Amino acid sequence: MVSPSAVAPRAFRAAQPVKQLVQKRGFAAPASGSFTYETGDAAGVKYASRDLPAATTTLAVVAKAGSRYQPSPAFSDALEKFAFKSTYKRSALRITRESELLGGELSANHTRELLVLRARFMKEDLPYFTELMGEVISKTRFTAHELSEEVEHVMKLDQKGLLGSPANLAINSVHGVAFHHGLGTPTNATSSSPFKKYLDAQAIADFADVAYSRKNIAVVANGADHQEFAKWVKEFFQDTKSGSDVYKLNEEPTKYYGGEERIAHASGNVMILAFPGSSSFTSGQSFKPEIQVLATLLGGQSSIKWSSGFSMLSKATADIPFAHVTTRNHAYSDAGLLTVTITGTSSHIAKASKAVVDTLKSVASGNVTDEDIAKATALARFRALSEGQQTEAGIEATGMGLILNSQPYQIDELGQKIAKVTPDQVKSAAKSLLDQRASVSSVGDLFVLPWAADIGLKV
Amino acid sequence: MSGPSLAPYIMRRPWLRSWMMPFAKWYANASGYRRLGLRADDLIPEENDTVQLALKRLPPKEAYDRVFRLRRAFQCSLAHQLLPPEEQTKPEEDTSYLKPIIEEIEREYKEMADLESMTIQKRK
Repeated sequence: MVSPSAVAPRAFRAAQPVKQLVQKRGFAAPASGSFTYETGDAAGVKYASRDLPAATTTLAVVAKAGSRYQPSPAFSDALEKFAFKSTYKRSALRITRESELLGGELSANHTRELLVLRARFMKEDLPYFTELMGEVISKTRFTAHELSEEVEHVMKLDQKGLLGSPANLAINSVHGVAFHHGLGTPTNATSSSPFKKYLDAQAIADFADVAYSRKNIAVVANGADHQEFAKWVKEFFQDTKSGSDVYKLNEEPTKYYGGEERIAHASGNVMILAFPGSSSFTSGQSFKPEIQVLATLLGGQSSIKWSSGFSMLSKATADIPFAHVTTRNHAYSDAGLLTVTITGTSSHIAKASKAVVDTLKSVASGNVTDEDIAKATALARFRALSEGQQTEAGIEATGMGLILNSQPYQIDELGQKIAKVTPDQVKSAAKSLLDQRASVSSVGDLFVLPWAADIGLKV
Repeated sequence: MSGPSLAPYIMRRPWLRSWMMPFAKWYANASGYRRLGLRADDLIPEENDTVQLALKRLPPKEAYDRVFRLRRAFQCSLAHQLLPPEEQTKPEEDTSYLKPIIEEIEREYKEMADLESMTIQKRK
């Protein structure tokens, strides 16, 4: 379905009382304009939608209330688990049954920076689910009995699972070592940490007042007609709060520290070597596309099945069969973390980690061909563009972009920026990584896993 | 748990209410539980699932005070004594703290039963 872009709808929209900013389409947009979002503002609540030729709509409320911004441990997790529980208008059971009858899926999840409430449903049910989202945001009751009977129980189960996963422990540990506060807070408390003493229904309700306030949320829809969507958002999001006096979101700028942490664990081995990376594209500042290219240059995993690939780390670890290496840039709004994750048996991890550091040092010293960098640039561009195609990444990135008052996720520009990266930028980026303190996290059999100093990294 | 009652019928009609209230107050005083320091909701039989759940949902302070009142009343009963007048429950203190929770739980059960037994019609 072709999204409206001619003059007549624009004139019609200009006559509406709602102030709207119609996004210009990038000239490289495909024929249906399906990648670009149209944005608007309904009395402080920002929304964006793009119409897709599909029968279902995904509606998400994105709130800047991830674990980075929580005032007490596990509050972001608790707020996520309180989504779709009883409101002042209807009970949790009723919400579930009604959305089941309509064939919709409701879900909530939180990351380091965002809390996302998501609903997927048939296109014709847009008014119902927009009303539901508006109600959940502003009128959830946060009763004490739901907290103790349902939410805490689910949180404990979630955490037991996470405690048993070395990969999860390692990623939380490496973020903590790299950033300390804010981004360094673990996304979920592990079950051995005392979070229950901080949980209180009234405190969570106060956190919800500020987390779901007008300037802290964005409503994003994939597969909805923009005019209709604008009408329903304006009608159902009127009761959104405008902030709270009890809590203020902790908005300190992120600072990178570096260091090392080692955790003993009996089921599995993971070692993560992390360096300061690139922040996300929608944030504007501290976005470094050369780090994304460096991530694919180092690589480790092939996108072709049953092949170990020909990226630098794949070649370097080709004779270390039981170590599995992946490189990834975690992009946040004002910082990023470039991680090289090695999983497998402890002795092979020890060998592979040395190979990783040697590879990184060779890239930093310029010992890499332009052809390799061209391959890496192409792959980085492909990954960025294909991620933007998927609903998930688009929703979260657009939401974050809207909340921070910048543009929604414009993939065309991102692709162009990555394509313009030069080999010298990549080499100097690698050199600057090794000049700073690294963040290293080892989980597993500590007798065998090496210290950062053993493999030549500065922490 | 809450059986059929004429109370809501009477409370909604002011003329009936003003006629019944003095008698109701006299009856509550004459029952004697206030002289053992108890409140009306302490007397609700708790040997069923609904009230057990309601007791779990009580705020911690209310739960503690309830246990104290029950123990004090039991001790008075053993000693065949009444409390001194200043420790007996005053009529204005004798408010309902457990009944609203019980009613909410019953509403939840009823809603669950209604939703289980509804018939669905296809959208036209």
